[in-house]
Amino acid sequence: MSQFLSNYRDFLKQSVKSDRYHGFDMRVLARVEPFLSFLFHDWWRVEMNGLEKLPRDGAALIVGNSGSFLPWPAFMLLYALMSSRQNPRRVHLVADLDWIKDERLHSFLLELGFVPFSSANMKRLFAKGELVALFPEGVPGLAKPYMGRDRLNVFDWVKLLPAVEEGVPIFPLATLGCDEAVPILTNMERTAKFLGLPAFPVTPFFPWLPFPLNLGSLPTKWHMSLIKPLTYEASQDRDELEECAMRQSQFAEGEIQAELNRLLRQQWRHHG
Amino acid sequence: MKASLTRLFTEDPLARLARGNPAFVKRYESEPDPFGFSLETYARWEPFFRFLFEDYFKVEVRGIENIPADGPGILVGNHSGLLPLDGAMISMAMTGQHRAPRRIRYLVTDWFFSLPGLADWVKETGQVRATLDNARKLLEMGELVGIYPEGIRGVGKPFRERYRVLDFHPGFVQLALATGTPLIPVATLGGDEIYPELTNLKSVANFLKMPFFPVTLTFPWLPFPLMLIPLPVRWMIHVHKPIKLDYPPEKASDRKLVLKLAREIQYEIQDDLNKMLRRRRFFFTGGAAEKLLDTEKEPNNNP
Repeated sequence: MSQFLSNYRDFLKQSVKSDRYHGFDMRVLARVEPFLSFLFHDWWRVEMNGLEKLPRDGAALIVGNSGSFLPWPAFMLLYALMSSRQNPRRVHLVADLDWIKDERLHSFLLELGFVPFSSANMKRLFAKGELVALFPEGVPGLAKPYMGRDRLNVFDWVKLLPAVEEGVPIFPLATLGCDEAVPILTNMERTAKFLGLPAFPVTPFFPWLPFPLNLGSLPTKWHMSLIKPLTYEASQDRDELEECAMRQSQFAEGEIQAELNRLLRQQWRHHG
Repeated sequence: MKASLTRLFTEDPLARLARGNPAFVKRYESEPDPFGFSLETYARWEPFFRFLFEDYFKVEVRGIENIPADGPGILVGNHSGLLPLDGAMISMAMTGQHRAPRRIRYLVTDWFFSLPGLADWVKETGQVRATLDNARKLLEMGELVGIYPEGIRGVGKPFRERYRVLDFHPGFVQLALATGTPLIPVATLGGDEIYPELTNLKSVANFLKMPFFPVTLTFPWLPFPLMLIPLPVRWMIHVHKPIKLDYPPEKASDRKLVLKLAREIQYEIQDDLNKMLRRRRFFFTGGAAEKLLDTEKEPNNNP
């Protein structure tokens, strides 16, 4: 713990007054930190670009593509932001958590900085000038089959609505490599329905291996790049606001897809 | 079968086209064309492309009614397939399935006009050399102009880059703003798989002065006509609703706006390609047709 305190002094200083309404706990983050560090530096060797574009303070929304079975891109973003030298910031990861029945898991995620998605929650965070991250593909993004890797599912524009209402800058974040980390062979929808889960993906590890191993992933190389914020004009009219949110979500989706295409081309050119 | 084949070779091509598609012939037979469109050459080649369209690729077209029956329009699409057959397929859809059959004038790069035999053929089937003047003139004549803003780079995509749209050159938005023409995005699925390109030999291409020199499963290996036979992939073409840009023509010089609009259309096409890919089961069969047609329901979504 003392090691953590000295290593992350700036981060602690910055996040001391941040929002803890849902029970964020720095001690839990400190306990998990070595594992995240191992994943970030050694397992996936994440290359993070464009973090300098984030403002030092004030509200902002990061919108990213999800993939790879578990919300690992969210954790990698969390780690990248807390360990940044120039601009350490706490990020609130907004996600649908209602389907998680297990209370221990639910509270563990909340302690790490997850926030259940709701318009009121997001607006409160923006009013306090917090940094919020959102993965609008939702659960279908996590259960994306390997055939459709690096192709985005449709973004849920409703999730961007609170940000557009408050006029918060939206930063798209493209993550390359997360879809190959856990190749999802198929999504067994009927089993998922039977078990009451939103999806039941089958991976080379997942239902087969004993518990901690079935959550495993392959050590692929990850590239994450933060793209310059979307500019839009906030308006008062409800219809125009919704129109604007729809347009922004479509544009963010396109920006991320185009960035993924660019990164992929770079990689292919590099290797062959 | 035999009778129809003999008729194919003996009948006058113009008469055959007039029998099959009287509206098209009536529209274009009297009109002299400054860009060298020849109805006769078109009629001679039409059965071949009709065969590709209907029997070989079994193209499934959605939203062809979004193309206006009259007046100018700019079709914008994703480019694909080493031989740019995607343009021909959209033309076939336009002449065969639209209530008012029209030709589409594609803007074609200079390279095609450097080949002596090909240049005339390209002109006579209705294509036009890609310059801004030509495009403006065509729009003033009230023609449909087809533009592939990815350019020749988009055609020579290797197989692993299939259906990953390259960044659009924003010239088409400038043209649309300056002339006040609606833009019609068209997403084409299938073109990138008819010739799976393994690699592109750039040095050979430079030497032969070609835009690219692909190596496919058949291309430089088999004797001449065989190496150009495409794989029988099912195609899908989705024509979007026309986009009317509500900006004054002076905005055509606003680089930021033009680039933003070009990106928006690029993203829309890419998004549509992703959606169609997700819905398609297997690329030779295309999956059940009714599944492909319903746009509302997405598989593997929230239960």
